[in-house]
Amino acid sequence: MGGEGWLFLFAVLMAAALLFTSVFFIIMFSDLECDYMNPIDLCNKLNQFVVPENLAHAFLCLLFLLSFQWTALLINAPLLAYNVNKVVITKTHTFDATEIFRTLPQHKKESFIRLGFYLLSFFYYLYRMIVALISESE
Amino acid sequence: MSQQNDLPPGWIAQWDPTHQRHLFIETTSGHQQWEHPLETAGGPLDATVAPAPAPSGHGKRRAYAVGQTHAYDGAGEVAPYPDAAGYGAPVQPGMGGAPAPLFTPGLANDQFAAQQQAAQGQGYYGGSEQYPAQQPAYGQQQPMQYPPVNQLADQFGHMGLGGQKPFALHTANLVATPPNPLELLMPPPEIRLPPGASITDSPAANADPSYMRSTINVVPTTYQLLNKSKLPFSLVLTPHRTLKSAVNSSVDDPPVPVVTDTVIARCRRCRSYINPYVTFIDGGQRWKCCLCSMSNEVPQMFDWDQARNQPGDRWSRPELTSGAVEFVAPTEYMVRPPQPLVYVFLIDVSHAAVQSGMVATATRTILESLDRIPNDDNRTRISLIAFDTALYFFSLTPGSTETSMLVVSDIDDVFLPKPNDQLVLNLTESRAAVETLLGRLQEMFQDTQIIGSALGPALQAGFQLASTTGGKLITLSASLPTLGVGALKNREDPKILGTPKESALLQAGSPFYKTFAIECSRAQVSVDMFLFAATYTDVASLSCLPHYTSGQTFFYPGFNAARSEDAIKFAHEFGIVLGSQIGLEAVIRVRASRGIHMSAFHGNFFVRSTDLLALPAVPPDQNYVIEISLEETLTTPFVVFQTAVLHTTCFGERRIRVITLALPTTSNISELYASVDQIAVATFLANKAVERTQANKLEDARDMVQKYVTDILGAYKSNMTGGGGAAAAGLAIPTNMQMFPLLALGLLKHVALRQSSQIAPDLRAYAHSLLTTLPSQTLIPYLHPSFYSLHDMPPECGTIGDAGVILPPLLPLTSERLVKHGLFVIEDGQTIFLWVGRDSVPQLIMDVFNLPNYEALRGGKYTLPILDNPFSQRVNAIIGKIREMRRGPYYPALFIVKEDGEPPMRLWALSALIQDRGDQTPSYQQWLGQLKDKLNGSSYN
Repeated sequence: MGGEGWLFLFAVLMAAALLFTSVFFIIMFSDLECDYMNPIDLCNKLNQFVVPENLAHAFLCLLFLLSFQWTALLINAPLLAYNVNKVVITKTHTFDATEIFRTLPQHKKESFIRLGFYLLSFFYYLYRMIVALISESE
Repeated sequence: MSQQNDLPPGWIAQWDPTHQRHLFIETTSGHQQWEHPLETAGGPLDATVAPAPAPSGHGKRRAYAVGQTHAYDGAGEVAPYPDAAGYGAPVQPGMGGAPAPLFTPGLANDQFAAQQQAAQGQGYYGGSEQYPAQQPAYGQQQPMQYPPVNQLADQFGHMGLGGQKPFALHTANLVATPPNPLELLMPPPEIRLPPGASITDSPAANADPSYMRSTINVVPTTYQLLNKSKLPFSLVLTPHRTLKSAVNSSVDDPPVPVVTDTVIARCRRCRSYINPYVTFIDGGQRWKCCLCSMSNEVPQMFDWDQARNQPGDRWSRPELTSGAVEFVAPTEYMVRPPQPLVYVFLIDVSHAAVQSGMVATATRTILESLDRIPNDDNRTRISLIAFDTALYFFSLTPGSTETSMLVVSDIDDVFLPKPNDQLVLNLTESRAAVETLLGRLQEMFQDTQIIGSALGPALQAGFQLASTTGGKLITLSASLPTLGVGALKNREDPKILGTPKESALLQAGSPFYKTFAIECSRAQVSVDMFLFAATYTDVASLSCLPHYTSGQTFFYPGFNAARSEDAIKFAHEFGIVLGSQIGLEAVIRVRASRGIHMSAFHGNFFVRSTDLLALPAVPPDQNYVIEISLEETLTTPFVVFQTAVLHTTCFGERRIRVITLALPTTSNISELYASVDQIAVATFLANKAVERTQANKLEDARDMVQKYVTDILGAYKSNMTGGGGAAAAGLAIPTNMQMFPLLALGLLKHVALRQSSQIAPDLRAYAHSLLTTLPSQTLIPYLHPSFYSLHDMPPECGTIGDAGVILPPLLPLTSERLVKHGLFVIEDGQTIFLWVGRDSVPQLIMDVFNLPNYEALRGGKYTLPILDNPFSQRVNAIIGKIREMRRGPYYPALFIVKEDGEPPMRLWALSALIQDRGDQTPSYQQWLGQLKDKLNGSSYN
């Protein structure tokens, strides 16, 4: 298995992990809505995951850049830009327990969009991995 | 009209432009009526005809409206005197110089009915004589126009119209009717429940509107209907309002009845409390919940009078007769034994604080208020921490009445120098020590030169002291916190004021104030902020703490105790806060009938779950606004909203205050419009605008207010007046919402939202905190100030009437009413301006200020002397009344504004006249013009 194969195998695993974090976020939000959890604990818990999730995604993008995978990079660029804006520039990435109920619909929507994006990219990476493997074996 | 002159003593006539006739007001009681008092008093019946609707520009619709209102409001008055009112109008047209009255079938029929009624001798005399005394004590400015609900219902019953007469909707043209400030004193539209809705039929079955009111007093059955009307739907709550004697009537606020036998009947499914709208089934063995229709068992002891140990009368139980009731809760409602009241004072003793006299005034006030601090059970504890760049604790030396001071200068890692119980003193046991300490505090620090404030560490220390029991941190700070956690930077930059960047200054500058607030809320610690600053002190960040811990913020810009006005204002407000009967460890939950959902919450608390508000302390007279959404189609004839506040009283009793409100439902959009409570809508809008400012920008908040007004007007136009055509000439609005556009304009022009590059962010932030906490009664004057003229007030104003001091008639808020020789009062509940015209006669100045002439008078904060002449005493009485008539701790400062005095002072006072054109804001007429253009230009047609 060559470089590209390994790269996309890693990307597939990464996308799966990111997929799980999104699902986890959504579950936590619905827990909050159903009153299984109080907003303070929720925010403390979720805030631990926000930066790692964004870092993981940024790392993936970095790998695509270093291996000149322009298409994959281009697909990820909008989300990367959005994350950078949120974490680095406006610093609004943390969940605020005082505002959480007001912003909950937004957060849920964002998590669903992320979920969809990771799901699509998961299949794209899988496809690219298979293509890479096939082309190697030929 | 000659009606001004031939009035009996004690009456005044006020021209009412809305109805094109005189409104007669008996100034001693505040009683208002349309009829000439001599006629209604059974005097010369032929003197003048009862004013009939004069034909006005809006033709038939208008005349019909007057007839209808007349028939409702005046029914009790009209009926006994058919000669004067009923026959007089049609038979003797043209009397009193009035043109022939336009008579409409509606008017004729209703009056005919009323006459029939009177002719049958149903004893209306008794009814109409009694009703001023029976007025429900709404707020303090109870107009005397509407008879109580049940009486009105009786009348309808007698008239054979059934108990549920649909709301009559009257349309007014905003452009042609100048706003009448008296309308703000009207009670909200009456709640007309279907007959038999309440099992006890008690007049108090619905709580007084000052506890809980809704923006619409009829609930639409579907979400689509609500959406179509564009009306906001929310509840305005002040569950812990103070009881004040009502000002315009002799009736005091009735106290909330208390159920002491701990028999609490609650629905098994929705957990709502039993209330006057449930129904008993199975011969009274079971009751059916009015919220979720669940059938529940009636508790065994429900019909047992435990106090007398004998069978009791179920129907006299307060929870079945009263919409506002308080239950004494058994131990199931306690997480831990009721906590004692713990006050931790954090007093800034840096150079600025000592120099301004804040420390001296504060300690003196605490000392004087020690007896007023609630301490019925001798458990109240207090502690004191002074701070500048270090923290100073005071501990009681065992076996002595002296306290020793412990200095902690390590502010990075705050620790308590002694165990908790030596720092927090029991007020009763250690009274002497507390008094000595308070007496000496000022001395200890009077020569301090230390500049800097470790407020954050002081808060943490206070939190450690109070966290085990819960309690209240009362913070007095005179400078920007600069050290340790929570240090803030001076963000104020005159260059960015008035630009979109300004909004950032209104958001918290350090995350500490949010995270710490959450910790406090968890530990049941509430924070009050008293801020005294000569310069920028970042009210926006600091007020976060009271916001999320259900405390209060007070701001005294440029405080200097050497000015007695400053000291008195602060001491008064601080004293009231210390002495108020607060609730502790509270949660609020609002329940409603099925299909109704609470969607957003505004006010000072922490939202702990989707519908649970956590309040470590409940100060009296705090306002909460709850937005409501409809999720299902409502099928019941009425719906019920129930607010429950579980709290510990300051005398250590766990209680639940339950406030119930039932509203009828409708599928008719015109009923919806006819039931709008404009006061509640304005309160909602103020809260929403502040939320929008804090989440987004000031511009967004202004746009939102504007959009609400245009949407409502547009929807009303397209739904009710059939779009364009003749209606396009004016701006149509239901008569019960006539003041709403002006209130919205007042909000747009308010310090909190106004577009300006001159408003300090601290003032804005403070205004925001007031807008979200003031109860409607205080909030409305804050948006729409009261304006009185003193130099030509009627002779009885300022004297004591049946219901306290009589205030002069309200004037519309326009500078056209200011005259050069006049003396005026403009007040918004937070400040009182005494406007002195430049040509005031020396006698007036002499009488009021004891100064030789106008030139000798200086503008600014002022204390009016009480002089030995009737005019001075009357003016003082009016000022005194203004200061005490509303709920809340606020003590408005008095400012003298000279007509040719300092421009900033003058502009400040003039900015209260909201109908005038401002610097960058339109006048009322211009604004209406803009609204009209927008409506006509948009797709609402």
